[in-house]
Amino acid sequence: MAEVQLRSVYKSFGDKEVIHGVDLDVADHEFMVFVGPSGCGKSTLLRLIAGLEEVSGGEISIGGERVDELPPAKRGCAMVFQSYALYPNMTVYQNMGFSLRLARANKEFIRARVHEAAETLQITELLDRKPKQLSGGQRQRVAIGRAIVREPRVFLFDEPLSNLDAKLRVQMRIELAKLHRKLAATMIYVTHDQVEAMTMADKIIVLRDGYVEQVGRPLELYHTPANLFVAGFIGSPAMNFMSGRILDCSDNAVSVVLDGGLGMSVPCRPKNGATQGAPIQLGVRPEHLNIDGHGDLQIPGKVFAAERLGGETYVYVITKEGKEITVHAPGDKVVSEGDEIVVGVSAESAHLFEQHGNAFERLAA
Amino acid sequence: MADAAVLPPARPPFNPWPAVIFVALIVLALLFLAPTAGVLLSSVKTTREIALGALWSIPAELYLGNYAEVLANPAVHRYLLNTVLVSAPATVASIALGALAGYVFAKLPFRGSNLLFLVIVSGMFFPPQVILIPLFRLFNAMNLIDTLWPLIVIHTAMGIPICTLLMRNFFATVPNALREAAILEGANEWQVLIRVALPLSLPALAVLATLQFTWIWNDFLWPLIFTQSDEKRTIMLGIVNLRGQYSVAWGVQGALSLIASLPTLVVFLFFQRYFIKGMTMGAVKG
Repeated sequence: MAEVQLRSVYKSFGDKEVIHGVDLDVADHEFMVFVGPSGCGKSTLLRLIAGLEEVSGGEISIGGERVDELPPAKRGCAMVFQSYALYPNMTVYQNMGFSLRLARANKEFIRARVHEAAETLQITELLDRKPKQLSGGQRQRVAIGRAIVREPRVFLFDEPLSNLDAKLRVQMRIELAKLHRKLAATMIYVTHDQVEAMTMADKIIVLRDGYVEQVGRPLELYHTPANLFVAGFIGSPAMNFMSGRILDCSDNAVSVVLDGGLGMSVPCRPKNGATQGAPIQLGVRPEHLNIDGHGDLQIPGKVFAAERLGGETYVYVITKEGKEITVHAPGDKVVSEGDEIVVGVSAESAHLFEQHGNAFERLAA
Repeated sequence: MADAAVLPPARPPFNPWPAVIFVALIVLALLFLAPTAGVLLSSVKTTREIALGALWSIPAELYLGNYAEVLANPAVHRYLLNTVLVSAPATVASIALGALAGYVFAKLPFRGSNLLFLVIVSGMFFPPQVILIPLFRLFNAMNLIDTLWPLIVIHTAMGIPICTLLMRNFFATVPNALREAAILEGANEWQVLIRVALPLSLPALAVLATLQFTWIWNDFLWPLIFTQSDEKRTIMLGIVNLRGQYSVAWGVQGALSLIASLPTLVVFLFFQRYFIKGMTMGAVKG
């Protein structure tokens, strides 16, 4: 069993606290993704688990055993670095067998383990090469292979695909997901790319400035973001936000009026403090907006740009109030710059956020 | 228009700089090579020929007697052996200590480590004359005068600043992720240094080995102060000792000078490939 638990974990560098009491449970065999913008503390959190940084407070345990005072090598974690961190002076074989050599394993055992891992990753023919003779994708495989050889309790990935080109990244994403199923290991994966997070994770933890904003399954985060930050971060292109005020509240709906006078009733459970006149943000994802104007709310606007990707089109519209919104339309939809259109919003697809950014519980999700 | 098309291209204006630089380099090369050439020429002439004043002329016949005389002289063997006994351990020790200190300064900084680094490096700026008398008194008190030990110790100590400086700067270029990866895989700092950092630092080690060995081998001052008997002299003092009592044996001295410079040349040639690698490392994306 290799579940990972963090309890009130703090980390300070000098006087600056960068992780503010994080609690987290990663279940055995789970693929957990830490996601957030640069500087949110996701890599620091990973390094705390690995033991490359010492915690300033709190506890970390792996498989029920407290590890935050153990040296890194005793924690049973293997890490894959963004820069691959392959030893340039060693061959692929030596790189992969390094940890076992350090542990004074016998040669036959090392050979068997390295070959087994190399076969899993289809890099057997590269074993005699030096890292500089490998392509980026091959180096990444070797780095993963080096982790597999150790048979760790937990795999830690620190933005492992960031240095690869777009096509290779998609391919490696799928392979990592396959590998996770095959090894049935606990994996913690750090990325700033929410697409990677959505496609690979069993569970995502969204971090901002050293605080956990939300933990949940990818689609939970997509459909019921806890706050404005998560709503804006998860989903691509990002959710559209329009500000307005509460007109009226009932137990299962909130009527709002947007700046500019348009109004709509959104099915949701209002929070405390949701009083008449209180400012709110209405959020709608580009893919939930209707370019033909069908819906409970019609927003007139003017197209200022359109991106045609073939199968789909992103239409950028500026409303009468000067607000820019992104609309997802089918690929065959004909729109041009300067067109006057009406964008439709259905009440079921809308998200409401109170003035501090917290979401009202949706009833239509 | 048609005429213009067949006109030869205008000659670029005459640029005198390449020629000036070329001439300056030739002059400099001659100035630098002249002493070596002079020594080489005298080493293959008889004493008589030199005494007749033909110092710079090409010898009428190649006379190798000077070399034979030098190589057959047991005192020369002793000088060479003594110099090796000083140069080899002092080179190895100063680089080893410099590498250890450099690794700590580059990868394991502690409070005040930058200041300590500056203090160590400032050791390079001490003129040896300033510490000459205190060191003599120290080694005299330890009864080590006229042994090779003071030379080994002093050359090791004086080499530490430059070795620390170079190794620290080199280790700083070794990515931290490599150290962290090794630590996660169960290596201790010593294993990181020996198995990861040092193998990547061969160019720096080669540069240091060549520089240190050359400096120590060619040193004249310290052996002059700390050795007295002929059995403990190093090769540079040996060259001086070989002059005759009433006249200077130019030919013999020339031959020994060339023989004495061979080991440093061999060391350079041995490490040369790393030298070039060191100079081009990091020049292109790897």
